[in-house]
Amino acid sequence: MSTSCTYDVPVPDEKKKTVILGVGNLLLSDEGVGVHVINEMMHMHFPPDIELIEGGVDGLRLMNVVVEVDRLIVIDAVKGGGSPGSIYKFRPEEFATHADTSKMSVHQVGILEVIRLSGLVGKLPETTIVGVEPKSVGMGMKLTPEIQSKVPRIIELVLDELKDSV
Amino acid sequence: MGKKISIDPVTRIEGHLKIEVEIENGKVKDAWSAGTMARGFEALLTGKDPRDAPFVTSRFCGVCFSVHQIASARALDDAFGANVPWGGTLLRNLAMGAEYIYDHVLHFYHLTALDYIDIMAVANYKGKDKDLVAVKEKILGLVKANDTFPLTPRYKPDEYCVNDPDMVIAAVKHYIDALSMNAKARNMGAIFGGRTPHYQSIVVGGCTQYPDINMVARFRTMLDEQAKFVNEVYIPDVLAFGTGPLLPLATMGVGGGHNNYLSYGALEKDPAGNDLVFPPGVIFGLDPGNIKVQPFDQKKITESVKYAWYKQDKPQHPYNGKQEFDLNHKEAYTFVKAPRYDGKPMEVGPLARMIITKNPTLLGLVKKGVKPGAVARHAARAIETKLIVDACYKWCDDLLDAMTKPGFKIHDTDHWEPPETGMGVGFYEAPRGALGHWIKIKNKKIDNYQAVVPSTWMASPRDEKKVRGQYEESLIGVPVPDAENPINVVRVIRSFDPCLACAIHLIDPKTNEIRKFIVE
Repeated sequence: MSTSCTYDVPVPDEKKKTVILGVGNLLLSDEGVGVHVINEMMHMHFPPDIELIEGGVDGLRLMNVVVEVDRLIVIDAVKGGGSPGSIYKFRPEEFATHADTSKMSVHQVGILEVIRLSGLVGKLPETTIVGVEPKSVGMGMKLTPEIQSKVPRIIELVLDELKDSV
Repeated sequence: MGKKISIDPVTRIEGHLKIEVEIENGKVKDAWSAGTMARGFEALLTGKDPRDAPFVTSRFCGVCFSVHQIASARALDDAFGANVPWGGTLLRNLAMGAEYIYDHVLHFYHLTALDYIDIMAVANYKGKDKDLVAVKEKILGLVKANDTFPLTPRYKPDEYCVNDPDMVIAAVKHYIDALSMNAKARNMGAIFGGRTPHYQSIVVGGCTQYPDINMVARFRTMLDEQAKFVNEVYIPDVLAFGTGPLLPLATMGVGGGHNNYLSYGALEKDPAGNDLVFPPGVIFGLDPGNIKVQPFDQKKITESVKYAWYKQDKPQHPYNGKQEFDLNHKEAYTFVKAPRYDGKPMEVGPLARMIITKNPTLLGLVKKGVKPGAVARHAARAIETKLIVDACYKWCDDLLDAMTKPGFKIHDTDHWEPPETGMGVGFYEAPRGALGHWIKIKNKKIDNYQAVVPSTWMASPRDEKKVRGQYEESLIGVPVPDAENPINVVRVIRSFDPCLACAIHLIDPKTNEIRKFIVE
């Protein structure tokens, strides 16, 4: 499936560095939706100040990405209780993650915590999370057909988000 | 029967490490360590081209991705009969060295230091240092906004917690500095890894990306900054804590365990591979006054499934290991198998490596009365970070030397094609400890694949002889004066740098609050 040239890619303010970050585990079917989407977007052409990053299963260590950008759009699987394939869009500050994460080890530190920790270091990018409710997080290297069929729509939403921030 | 408490860190994430302890008279009497998530990613590999394995296994985990890649590539080197040229080894070691530096620093400051300090002591800082006042204001600001993640400890500070305001505020400042150092060290790994996370350059036979002089220069500049932090902040902090306020915990040897240690050996310092940063070796029942290291023989590794949710079988060597789950197995309490060396449970990781190599700095601490345990583990981790920093400088010099000579090679191109049949093992010393990958190849495809990871060695359940795993044994006798506040249990387990789930990190808030953000 090729998506090149089918979308209208916006051109943002040149001074603003934007990162679109896809995260998730490629070995756990829909948990890897962020990675599948970003890999698909890599076929498209973006201006140099928009960077696409495939963050894989990385937790806390994605901070090297987060602290260096002005605008961050994250694509990830989100368990929000909606039906499989539901798409969410929110900013990290819009809801408080529960604070009791200190007992966890690093790989359990999710992208929301990374963003908040980055605030401690100094800089917090303007962040939007585009989340997708998974159907299956069982072992497998492909998306389920339900989620696969949503990929073009997820990309559209990410691009809309870019337009809004221009 | 003592009081049983369960420490289950799983709140948001599906499956992780659960520790259950029985407490009697203020001490841990018995302990059970359980991995509550089924692993078994290996099954995904069967039938694939063996050359895919380093890339697929790199996705096992978001913390230790590259260690799987290197162990997998080495298993293929073995099975394909590939001879990695010195240039390839140097590039691999530099990429892996960068990972060590950020992994250990991150563990100390961000995953464990807060178990040892009373963070609220910053409020009592009376000094005038501009940076520290800013830290104080930042922390108090977070408290005021009721947003103390991730600084608030889960457990109440006890008598071992550092509460001297000057020490605590310096530690918190270093915590914040270490976050920046971490972000920078990440980028170091990408220079020779091709990208990060999930390096691309490490393949069977060596590496894919030729270095140029600018890459080495960039790496060295970044290494200088990391070395400064390691030598001037990290190591002094660990030593100041370990020989100061935490000395009682250190000399009690809280969290010692079986005192059996294993290292597979890794990170060559010469082309022949005779001189390693971490030599291989085995120690049974450590006697600190007379350390006896035996040679390591991989044939002595077995995995028992007696207390794990797998189809029952006798202990098997990893070449013959299977992943057939059996949730009806009544005696089972975990998804983690029980690896044994010569039938014995082993500790792997920094403490094992520094004892096996008889590191003089660590042995110096032992002479001062520090016993193997949680505090010694932090010290060993800091000490070996310096060994890695020093080795990275040497590898940079060696690489500059090698790449300017004629015939410089980074890959054994003659052994790129998979053999018709074959088997191989790849060992590596990951930051968390001994990591092994075993592969069997049939018709040029993967026939069987097994990974035995460091946390499997240590989070192991009991075996056929009912002998506890290392986490379990290390908890026996640990003081828990208040069952509501098992801070020492947490300190012990975290000192091992546990890493089990390796997999799921999808955003999963406790509430369904997120539903209001639904777009469609």
